[in-house]
Amino acid sequence: MMRFAAIFCFAFFASGARAADVAVALTEDVVEVTTSFSGARLVLFGTVAGDEYTAENYDIISVVRGPSTQFEVRRLERNNLIWMPGDAVTINDAPGLYLTGATRAIEDIVLLPDQTAHGLGVDNIELDLLSAGDNSNETSAYKAAFLDEFEFLGLYKNIVGNVEYAKGRLFRINIDLPAQTPIGQYEVVVYLFQDGILVSQDSASLNVNKVGLERRIYELAHDRPISYGVLCVALSLIAGWAAGAVFRK
Amino acid sequence: MQIYLPIAEIPVDPFIVILMGGAVGFLSGMFGVGGGFLMTPLLIFYGIPPAVAVGTEASQIVASSVSGVLAHLKRKTVDFLMGGFLVIGGGIGAVVGIFIFRYFRAIGQIELFISIAYVLFLGGIGALMLFESVRALFRSTSNVKRPKRKHRSVEWMAALPFAMKFRTSQLYISPIPPIILGFIVGILAAIMGVGGGFIMVPAMLYILNMPTRVVVGTSLFQIIFVTAIATVLHAAANQTVDIILALLLLSGGVIGAQAGARVGTRLKGEQLRALLALIVLAVCVRLLFDLVMPPSSPFVVKAPA
Repeated sequence: MMRFAAIFCFAFFASGARAADVAVALTEDVVEVTTSFSGARLVLFGTVAGDEYTAENYDIISVVRGPSTQFEVRRLERNNLIWMPGDAVTINDAPGLYLTGATRAIEDIVLLPDQTAHGLGVDNIELDLLSAGDNSNETSAYKAAFLDEFEFLGLYKNIVGNVEYAKGRLFRINIDLPAQTPIGQYEVVVYLFQDGILVSQDSASLNVNKVGLERRIYELAHDRPISYGVLCVALSLIAGWAAGAVFRK
Repeated sequence: MQIYLPIAEIPVDPFIVILMGGAVGFLSGMFGVGGGFLMTPLLIFYGIPPAVAVGTEASQIVASSVSGVLAHLKRKTVDFLMGGFLVIGGGIGAVVGIFIFRYFRAIGQIELFISIAYVLFLGGIGALMLFESVRALFRSTSNVKRPKRKHRSVEWMAALPFAMKFRTSQLYISPIPPIILGFIVGILAAIMGVGGGFIMVPAMLYILNMPTRVVVGTSLFQIIFVTAIATVLHAAANQTVDIILALLLLSGGVIGAQAGARVGTRLKGEQLRALLALIVLAVCVRLLFDLVMPPSSPFVVKAPA
């Protein structure tokens, strides 16, 4: 709630410093992944300060960026009869999730060089490709395949028209996180554009955590793997014995 | 409804998973087999990462073998000495299997490796079983009695070092052949997520020459230990045992197994074996199909292990 209060203060008192300033906050800065997790709705609230601001003259783009990890892309190659994965192209620091929201299609708001410069839109995600084998001259095909796969999984997505104006300077962006949303630290950035020029930006952070049983199982399995393995065997023995006992009667 | 699996890190429909457990349980109850060699491919077809499918299936086999082992213990149809040597071999085999598994996971070829292993084993075993049961079906119609096998120790195995008496099995052989047999099955258990009964039972009958009476109990005794070892090793080395998935499969599996056992008693042994052989071959063909047909997407993307 403190953040909301801060935004309202900002909206009313900090105006005039620049032509227009954007500020943003999340309704919840933690998303909890439980056993019944099947995706979540992220609600972003923001406001624009500034004397010149009217909703018609400005565009808003939001970017939700998930924790960066390494991925490997391999091309399936025919070896005699079977198709087998070839040498890997490693992609460093690729976001595990990348969702944009915008008032209009990003290419209508910003020119391509600026899209690339700010990394706006799925096609402009900065990816660091490392090639291991003799496939270095066709890394773009691997990059495209990687983006296709993540778009197919719903982890990378450009959404248009999900910015709702509430009252004058207030806006709200709804972002649906998919069920496969990776765990970790997220960054949410909102950009304010006027005639294709970035005038202001603000960011907020988001945590996606496993909680409850989900988290306990995951942590036990990774922090104390041997105990977890023994526990799995013990549970299996008990469950198997109990099931047998029930059906003998 | 969806359940998010903590280790596989994907959401699944619990009813479908329970149904899968039930279907495989039904077949394993009907045919008296463990069912790991059907469950693991089915999990992979459903979209569970192959490494998690194998690790989880090992723990599920532990659960589904308990009641069988207890029943055989009560009937005193377990050769503990023989079982002990099989477990020693199996434990070492499981460790070797985990190293092989880790190696192929590290170079990103584990899916391919598991698929090929399954195609070879299911193809080989399925073809043998079909051949054997079709021959038996013809024989049963022409009323020719199968020659009775004599239970006696195989000479070359008695000639190996450390030969000893296995009282329950009425054998005098060296422990080296059972240790080697256990070792091979242990490797398979770790790599393929199977109990290995489908190899162990014929090997005990036809190679070790053990009496039929103690074969199933001793095989189950070895399976429960080796899959327990494989479960702990997978959990420790790969973090790929999903207990939630295992429990879901189990809950379907026990019900299916009871139903299957009832249906199984109404069918003749040869018919059952022919049917099982066809199912095994069908899974094999499906896996082979995926390996041979041009892939729908020419690239594979995943996080390195």
